[in-house]
Amino acid sequence: MNATLAAVMAILGLTLIKATPLIYAALGGVLSERAGVVNIGLEGILIAGAFTSVVVSGATGNPILGALAGVLAGMLLAAILAYVTTRLAVDQIVAGTGLNIAALAGAAFGLVLVYHQPGASHEVPALGRTGETVLVVLAFVAAGVLHLVLTRTPWGLHVRACGEDPSAADSAGIDALKTRFWAVVIGGAIASLGGVYLSLAELDLYSDGMTAGRGFIALAAVIFGRWTPLGATGAALFFGFFAALQFSLQRAGVPSELLQALPYLAALVALAGFAGRVRAPAADGVPYVRS
Amino acid sequence: MTAAFLRTRAFRDIVVVLVLVFGVGSIAMLLAHVSPIVGFGALFDGAWGTKGEIAETLVQTTNLLFPALGIAIAFRAGLFNIGAEGQLVMGGFAAGWLGAQFPLPGYLAVPMVLAAGTLAGGVWGAIPGIMRARFKANEVIATLMLNVVAILLTTYLVTGPLQQGGANGSETGPLPKAAQLTHLFDTQLTWAFVLALVLAFVLRWVLQRTIFGYELRAAGDAPEAAKRAGIDLGRTALIAMSLSGAIAGLGGATIVAGALHRFNTGLSPGYGFIAIAVALVGNLDPLWIVVASVAFGMLQSGGIAMQAEAGVPKEVVSLIIGLVIIALAGRRVVASLRST
Repeated sequence: MNATLAAVMAILGLTLIKATPLIYAALGGVLSERAGVVNIGLEGILIAGAFTSVVVSGATGNPILGALAGVLAGMLLAAILAYVTTRLAVDQIVAGTGLNIAALAGAAFGLVLVYHQPGASHEVPALGRTGETVLVVLAFVAAGVLHLVLTRTPWGLHVRACGEDPSAADSAGIDALKTRFWAVVIGGAIASLGGVYLSLAELDLYSDGMTAGRGFIALAAVIFGRWTPLGATGAALFFGFFAALQFSLQRAGVPSELLQALPYLAALVALAGFAGRVRAPAADGVPYVRS
Repeated sequence: MTAAFLRTRAFRDIVVVLVLVFGVGSIAMLLAHVSPIVGFGALFDGAWGTKGEIAETLVQTTNLLFPALGIAIAFRAGLFNIGAEGQLVMGGFAAGWLGAQFPLPGYLAVPMVLAAGTLAGGVWGAIPGIMRARFKANEVIATLMLNVVAILLTTYLVTGPLQQGGANGSETGPLPKAAQLTHLFDTQLTWAFVLALVLAFVLRWVLQRTIFGYELRAAGDAPEAAKRAGIDLGRTALIAMSLSGAIAGLGGATIVAGALHRFNTGLSPGYGFIAIAVALVGNLDPLWIVVASVAFGMLQSGGIAMQAEAGVPKEVVSLIIGLVIIALAGRRVVASLRST
C-alpha cells in the first residue's frame, strides 16, 4: 500500500518537473497569440533563457542573477520577433522559424566561445532544491495571474481585442501595434523561465538540444488548451504526465516514440476539430498594417 | 507590376543577405579570434577548392533545392508549408525501406525508390492539405507538428515493426546496388542534381504557363478574388500541399538513393528548414531558387571546412541562415496571403 502510494507520489512529482517548463512556454505562447502573434520562436526563447542563465550564473557565481539574465535574453529575443512582426509586419511564422534556427546555432557557437568546447557548458552554480520548488509553484501562480490579467484587466481586454480585430482595436484608441509588441515581449519573459528551469533548476548546465522541442510541445499545449492560460496549463500537465509515465509505460511495452508523439497528435486532433470546437483568435498570425 | 520596383526590392534583399553573411560572419569570426579573411577564405576554398569539394557543394545544393522548390510551390499558393523536413524524412523512409525490402532489377529499382519517396512525401503533405481544405485547420501548426511526428514514426517503424536485416539502430537495411543512383564525374555527385535542375525548369513552366499554375498563384495572391472567379480554394490547397510534399519527399529519396544508400532517421541536418531561407532568397521563383540553393549549398559544405581549417565553429553558418530567414520573412509572401 505504502509502496503504491510512494509510486503515485513519484509519478506526480515527475509530472510537475516535466510540466513546469512546458507551462511557462505555453503561457508565453498564449499571451502572444491572444494578441495576434503566433510565436513559433518559443523553442528559441527557451534556448536563450537556458543558455544565458548558465553563462551568467557561471560568470558571476550567482544563479539568481543568472536566472534574471536568462529572462532578459528571452525578452530580447521576443523583442526581435515582436519588432519584425509588428513594425515591419513580416510573416510571423517564417520569422519565428528563423529565430529558432538562429538561437540554437547562437547557443552552440556561444558554448565554444565561452567554454571552448562544443556540446555542453561546465557545471555552474544552480538554483537548487528551493529554487526548483519556487519555479514550480511560480508556474501555477503565473497561470492564475495571466488568466486574471486577460479576463479582468483593461490591458488584457486590449490584448484580446488586438488578437481578434486589431483594426477595430486601433479605431477604439488602443495602440494595436504597441499592445502586440508588449504582449510578445512579456510572453517571451514568461517563456524564458521555462528555459531557466531546465538549465539552472532541473540541471546545472546547458547542453545543445536540451530544450528538445519543448517549445513546439508548448505550441501544441496552447492549441489543446484552446488559447487560454488555464487550458494551456492543463494541457502542459497532461503532456507532462505522459512524459513522466514514459519509463513505466515503456517497460510495459508501449513504444516510447508513441508517447513522445502524443502531444503533437493531440494538437493535430484538436486542430482538426475532433475534440470539440477549437477556435484561434480571429487575427492570430495575421500581420496588422495600419492603412 | 513595374519591373523597376521588383528589381529594387530584389536588389535590397540581396544587399541585406550579403550584409548578414559577411557582417555577422565577420563578427562571429572575430569573436572566435579568427581573421574574417582567413575564415571566409577557408569557407570558399572548402566549397570550391577541389573537384571533390565542388561535388560536395553541389550535393548540398541538390539536398536543399528539392525541399526549397516544394516550399516555393506551397508558399506561392498562400500555404505556409514549414513541414518540408517531415515530408523529406517520410520520402527518405519510404524509399529506403521499399528499396531494401523489394530488390528489383536495375531499370526498375531506381524509379521505384524515387516514386516511393515522392508518394510518401506527397501523402505527408496532403494530410495538412486535407485538414486545411476540410476543417479549415491551420496548415502552419499542422506541418510543424507533423515534422516531429515523422521523425518519431520512422524511428518507431525501423526499430520496431518494420525492422530490416543489416540495420543498426534507427535505420533500414542497405539498398541493393541497383537501387542506388549512379555517380557523376567519379565524385559524390549523382544525377539527382540534374533531376533537381530539370524539376526547377518544369515548375517554373507550370507556375507561369499552365492554368493550374495560374490558379495556384491566384489562390495565393488574392484568395477572395480567386474564389469569386470560381477557383476551388480547398482543392487548390490540397493539390499544392501534396505537390509540395511530394517534391520534398523526392528530395529525401535522392539523399537515400544517392548518398546514404539506406534510410537513417538522421538523414537531414535540417534541410527542410534551411530550404525556407533558400526559397525566400530565391524570391519563390524556381530559377532564382536554383541560384540561392548553390549559395546555401556552398555555406553548408564550406562551413565544415571553415571549422576544420580556420577553427570557426560551423554553427556560424546556421546562425547566419537563421538571421537571413528573419530578415526575409517580409517578402511579398506576406502581403495578401493570410486572409482566409
